Amino acid sequence: MTGLTATHLTVGYGAAPVLSELDFTVPEGRFTAVIGPNGCGKSTLVKSLSRVLTAQADMVQLDDKPLQKLKPKLLAQRIALLPQHPVVPDGVTVRGLVARGRYPYHRPLKQWSADDPAAIAQALEDTGMTAFADFPIDELSGGQRQRAWLAMVLAQQTQYVLLDEPTSFLDISHQIEVLRLCRAITANGRTVLAVLHDLNQAARYADELVVMHRGAIVAQGTPHDILTTQLITDVFGMESMIGSDPWSGTPMVVPVAD
Amino acid sequence: MTVKMFRVGERIALGYRRRSVLIWLVMTAAILSLAAATLMLGKLGLSPADFVDILSGEASTATEFVLQRVRGPRVLIAIMAGAAFGLSGALFQNVTRNPLGSPDVLGLAAGAGAGVAAASLLPWAIPTAVGALAGAGIAIGLVIVSTGSGLSSTSKVIISGIAVAAIATAVTQFVVTATLRDEASRLTAYLVGSLNSRDIGQVGLIAATLVLAFPVILWLSPRLELMELGDELTTSLGGKAAATRTQAILVSVVLAAMAVAVAGPIAFVALMSPHAARMLTRTSGPNLVGSALTGALLMVLADLAVQQLPLVEDLPVGIITAGFGGVFLGYLLLTEFRKGQS
Repeated sequence: MTGLTATHLTVGYGAAPVLSELDFTVPEGRFTAVIGPNGCGKSTLVKSLSRVLTAQADMVQLDDKPLQKLKPKLLAQRIALLPQHPVVPDGVTVRGLVARGRYPYHRPLKQWSADDPAAIAQALEDTGMTAFADFPIDELSGGQRQRAWLAMVLAQQTQYVLLDEPTSFLDISHQIEVLRLCRAITANGRTVLAVLHDLNQAARYADELVVMHRGAIVAQGTPHDILTTQLITDVFGMESMIGSDPWSGTPMVVPVAD
Repeated sequence: MTVKMFRVGERIALGYRRRSVLIWLVMTAAILSLAAATLMLGKLGLSPADFVDILSGEASTATEFVLQRVRGPRVLIAIMAGAAFGLSGALFQNVTRNPLGSPDVLGLAAGAGAGVAAASLLPWAIPTAVGALAGAGIAIGLVIVSTGSGLSSTSKVIISGIAVAAIATAVTQFVVTATLRDEASRLTAYLVGSLNSRDIGQVGLIAATLVLAFPVILWLSPRLELMELGDELTTSLGGKAAATRTQAILVSVVLAAMAVAVAGPIAFVALMSPHAARMLTRTSGPNLVGSALTGALLMVLADLAVQQLPLVEDLPVGIITAGFGGVFLGYLLLTEFRKGQS
């Protein structure tokens, strides 16, 4: 099977492993949101798909090859991951940060590849950060900073872009900016898999939802097809009604009975 | 601050910043001037005419003696041990992402000193370098084990470092009291870090260490730049975080231990150099060249001071660096813990 797949993926030990026997194929060319309550294994799934968490044996494969068997740099040319809490280096500029996304294309004595300038310029352009290229990261707002990180990940020019809670800790307008950007990334054929917390934002912007509960995937499909009051009760333990977003018409989950 | 590329054919391309290169050149010039001053000032100082004689191979015996025995080895050791301390500090601070994670704060230098002292007690001769390396290895091992979380937590590392340094000092004190008086006073001078009466063999040791470390550091450096982004991003960018940290710490321990072997446990040069280099070049990244040059500069400067300045004349050079370094450490502690609070 081609693509990025997890087969019988189990992470953690004992009575309650973080992920147990999970099967998943990342939907190609789409923006997929992973949702679920805290501690359901969302981040673990995303990290396992990128080798940041090393899964056992051949549980995660890219085009039928276990991730561990691929050279780290070659893998990094195919799969990018933006963690939830990346560390900002002291005094680095936006351009300097984005340039670090080009590492997988370099060699120890060749810290440059012919495609670097175009890739960096494109990533800055796509995230609307061109005007801020020479700003130190510390001087940016939270939203701009997140866009700089996304630009770094885009400069990596990977087919798969994995994002661990890219909208957390941002205010609403910046959250929407990031979600629009995720959609724009898939518009040119790339695949985005992002852990999101806000169900309604996920339903509105993502092509597909993956709903997780207690280390397993309990539903997967388009927001219209899978979001039901029963699912919300089962997964989040919350009574709800499902209406539709007045602007986009996508499903909108509203808590009831309070 | 755009990055330019130094290229050799198709195979080699290394990034640099113009400001950094300018600063490096200025620092190199300063180091060379101070080295020349070290050779020329004072009673035994060489005159410009002596230099001409040396270059034409017609130097007098007295001139050769000063150059090869008295001042020459001393200034070379100051430069190279300083560079080794600077590199060691830069590597440590980078992979631990801890601005205080340097060999002196960690008790590594004290451990290397204790290793040298303990080796002098043994009935059979152990080379100083081996004693230093063993002491440094044990010290860093103790710190890693006792923090329980590696080297990344600033406060835990400082506390463990204090404990390890105390143990090392106890070992050292024991050795000093247990040895004969002559040996003890020589050892005491060594243990504060002194560059008096160095010989050409020690120059060779530190030179060989730097020459061997250079290609390893060059090979590590692109990954060190990634390490600043955190382990997760380093891994997802293809940089092997855990392996990089282990390799960098190994190189760093060897550099610090060898610098201690030739110059004594000189305090705080390793801690100060990377910070000073970063302030001067105003760049992010591991700043390896800048740190090495800053370390060399600090050492030559301190050594010249103890040779020529009236108040501090003939003190071991380590006392001077400890004085400046202690103040600097206090400043770092204040800024770091303030940062932590905000």
